[in-house]
Amino acid sequence: MIVFFQSLISGILIGGVYALIGIGLTIIFGVMRVINFAHGDILMIGMYLTYFLFTLFHIDPFVSIVITIPLMFLFGAFLQKVFINRALNALPQNQILLTIGIGLVMSNTVMLAFTSDYKILTTTYSSSSVEILGISVSEPLAVSFAITVAITAALYWFLYKTDMGQAIRATAQDREAAQLMGINVKRMSIIAFGIGSALAGTAGALISPTYYIFPQVGSVFTLKAFVITVLGGMGSIVGATLGGVLIGVAESVGGVYIGSGWKDVIVFVLFLLVLLFKPSGLLGTSKD
Amino acid sequence: MKKLVALLLAVMFVLPAVALAGTVKLGFINSITGPEAPIGENLTNGVTLAIEDLKAKGIDVDLIKEDDTGKPDKSLAAFEKLATRDNVVGIVGPYTSATANADAKLAERYKVPLIVPAASKEEITRQGFKWTFRVSGTTGDYAGVLLDLATTLGKPKTMAILNENTDFGVSGAKSAKEIAQKKGIKVVFEEAYSKGSPDYRSTLAKLKATNPDLVFMVSYVADAILLMRQSREIGLSPMAFLGAGAGFSVAQFAKEKEISNGVFSSTQWTEEAPWAGSKVLFKRYVKQFGKPPTYHAACAYESMMIMGQAAAAAGGDREKTREALTTGKWNGILGEVRFQDYDGYQNQRKAVMLVEQVQNGKHETVWPLKDAVKKPIWPFPGWKK
Amino acid sequence: MNMKTSTADIRGIATLPLLLTAAAIILLFLLPKFVTSTYALHIMILIFISVIMGSAWNILGGYTGQYSVGHAAYFGVGAYTTKILLQYRHIAPWYGVWAGVAAAVATGLVIGSICFRIRGPYFVLASIAVAEIFRVSALNLPGLTNGAEGILITEVPPFKIGNTVITDFMSKVPFYYIGLVIAIAVILATRLVQNSKLGYYFQAIREDQDAAHSLGINLTLYKNAALAISAVFTSLAGSLYGLYVGFIDPGTVLDLGLSVQIVMTCIIGGIGTILGPMIGAVVLVPFSEALRSNMIAQALIDSGLVKEDSPLGTFLKEQLSHAHVLIYGILLVVVILFMPDGILGFIRKLFASKRKETA
Repeated sequence: MIVFFQSLISGILIGGVYALIGIGLTIIFGVMRVINFAHGDILMIGMYLTYFLFTLFHIDPFVSIVITIPLMFLFGAFLQKVFINRALNALPQNQILLTIGIGLVMSNTVMLAFTSDYKILTTTYSSSSVEILGISVSEPLAVSFAITVAITAALYWFLYKTDMGQAIRATAQDREAAQLMGINVKRMSIIAFGIGSALAGTAGALISPTYYIFPQVGSVFTLKAFVITVLGGMGSIVGATLGGVLIGVAESVGGVYIGSGWKDVIVFVLFLLVLLFKPSGLLGTSKD
Repeated sequence: MKKLVALLLAVMFVLPAVALAGTVKLGFINSITGPEAPIGENLTNGVTLAIEDLKAKGIDVDLIKEDDTGKPDKSLAAFEKLATRDNVVGIVGPYTSATANADAKLAERYKVPLIVPAASKEEITRQGFKWTFRVSGTTGDYAGVLLDLATTLGKPKTMAILNENTDFGVSGAKSAKEIAQKKGIKVVFEEAYSKGSPDYRSTLAKLKATNPDLVFMVSYVADAILLMRQSREIGLSPMAFLGAGAGFSVAQFAKEKEISNGVFSSTQWTEEAPWAGSKVLFKRYVKQFGKPPTYHAACAYESMMIMGQAAAAAGGDREKTREALTTGKWNGILGEVRFQDYDGYQNQRKAVMLVEQVQNGKHETVWPLKDAVKKPIWPFPGWKK
Repeated sequence: MNMKTSTADIRGIATLPLLLTAAAIILLFLLPKFVTSTYALHIMILIFISVIMGSAWNILGGYTGQYSVGHAAYFGVGAYTTKILLQYRHIAPWYGVWAGVAAAVATGLVIGSICFRIRGPYFVLASIAVAEIFRVSALNLPGLTNGAEGILITEVPPFKIGNTVITDFMSKVPFYYIGLVIAIAVILATRLVQNSKLGYYFQAIREDQDAAHSLGINLTLYKNAALAISAVFTSLAGSLYGLYVGFIDPGTVLDLGLSVQIVMTCIIGGIGTILGPMIGAVVLVPFSEALRSNMIAQALIDSGLVKEDSPLGTFLKEQLSHAHVLIYGILLVVVILFMPDGILGFIRKLFASKRKETA
């Protein structure tokens, strides 16, 4: 029983970080209908940023997100303005390949610059844990989970209570109509990609103290991000939050009872089932 | 210092080939890019040092380096190119077990002598091949020496095996299981995890529930650190943690002393290895490349030294080089190297294995006891809170 | 306007392409007689495999508009079936290959019946998910696939008819001819599809699924038909690869990277055209091999354009081989942003605008 609860707890905590990655992707998809295959690589950039802020300036990873967030926002906005915007009307498969290409360029540039060595960020609390009722809870994961919750709440407030947030949501709902309403759709796209990238970068920062960093680390997360987003319903932020936690738990609990090698299969089967029986996702509105 | 090295090497040199020395064309295949590149770098650097030392002996090596990105198909293409287009006399490499196993087949077909420096999968030299030679010890050697240590220092009854689900991990786990059973240790938990997952806690919790005396792990460095961190988190504290080389013997691992202290790992070479020139090579490596070498570097160094000398002595003839490798004897930083047929192996070096233990954030050679620099700490002292 | 003139042109010189094709095929058949370099043959075989994969994908992706990024599944199923039968059941590959084809088609139909209900970007994601399920399963079923250790065969048994040995597969030449024949077959198949009723149905589905459906075209049937044809050839490519290279493991024959590479071959050459995948393969295979083996840097140095001991020279020599995936990525971005119809489309456009200028 302890094993079950142990895996459930770590699943939920990891799921929080997954949720952040998924929310970023879902915002990008919602606003632009572009499937961003470079999402994991953007996360990787966030990880390296965190790593260097820590090793060069001794800024704690959880503190450094105040630097990472704006920088990653700018980076995402740049990617959108320079590359993605040019392919907004291209065929979806070309957009996918474009983002795959951008991802390859990012990961391999990082590899040339910093070699493919694994970078390990060791903080004093990297392996600390507290024990609650016989279950050990990783301290850094618990902290990152709390930060995830705070960021998600802030994001909700932004999207639902501010004018710009409303505009972004309107663009996500209907691009043409939004344009007719006088919303600067291009600008919204840039902001949306910026926010998406900032979220991915933050997830990278939050996971850095407990994970390792290498140029190809992104691919692990890109696929997960899709599953999470589709699971929750493309474009739905609540859905992505839920999807992230669900995937975290499915991996963790499934890993124990079916075998850790089969983790990914569990995730993908879940993904296919949702696509088949509820293509709009668990919380998505069925638009198609 | 340099003169000393040259002198040392000159003494080591046993083949009467100095007079014949000239330029030889050799190939080197390695994981220069790709996921295995961090360790691959050690091999490249080791070879670079060997080329310098060969030059000092009057053997100019025209070295052609090929990257196989750690993938067997790329490695085969590289081998093909070296064998047929560049017409090299011999090849050193490739790094990983999967690529080495694939290339061994081509060595046989094209009749090009191949020295495998660091890949440990047993099968590579158990296929009756005549052209493949291996300097590296096998996965059996890695597991064997660790269990020798464990059964000498304590009385473990059960063992859990956790390995990455790759060619390297699976073959390492297989050997460990075999040897454990021979020694009467019961394997109570076996699992292959897929690399690159951020969360091994649930797997480790399941492992902990089986309460094993020994935890045997086969991983590369990143996962090695992650697994130990999460072991600490969930309070897994067996009699001993045993790591089969690779990730557990890297300096980066030792530096994480909070989680690495007390962990044993088997290795083929250390700075304190009881063979002439080890310390010198270690220092030279650190000076030249700015980081400490792993045993991979030493294996690659020795492989290239042997290949260079054999090929030069054979006047660049592949068949003669092969004969020289089959019958020759070398004395270098890995001690005496001979390629022998035993236990179903062909052209396999009988590796003398060492065990290191991380003590105070440093790898210390603790086994075999006669060569030990520090005393092994047994059993695992438990986690500091 | 332009379209009309160019089609008229093509019709006017229709015999020329035919002659050129015939000449090219004859040349390719004679090539091993003149070229003795095994390395050159090796590259040619890789090109053939790439052409087969690309053209096979093209039938589903290019003509029917179903952008599968999971074709590694069929490639892997083909390679694994053939090799498992050869290694563990001692069934000769010329039977095993067909078992591989059958397995791939069966797999395809199962996948198709699941994934074809999903459209657009979701289909892409579903196809990736399915291929990943295959990869992870192959890793975790060592009893069937030998898991992560992969399957290595040291030799292909000689092919005999009666007692005469046709080939012993010791050299590259038999693989070269097998590759060439399958490549021609897949191109022929593409041509047949393009000009048949089946092909029109495929293209109608590509242009507008709902319209095609309302015209009475059975979407599921024809999508699955396209997938089946595609799976046949992809599986053959996989079997050929497995036998030729000798070693397969989940990371090489069932990898997502392979699926992407297949699509890339088509996109770079030109999607939905017969020539596209060929151009893509002929460009990409030698290019990536040249980068991997550092030939480009060496050539720049040898030609005297870059001095070996200059900073640029050392940089190129040390780094260019590391950069091959980077250059791949840049190429992909550039092609999609500036030549969305691939190299073929770009050339056509170039000619069209020239003609416009002169007219």
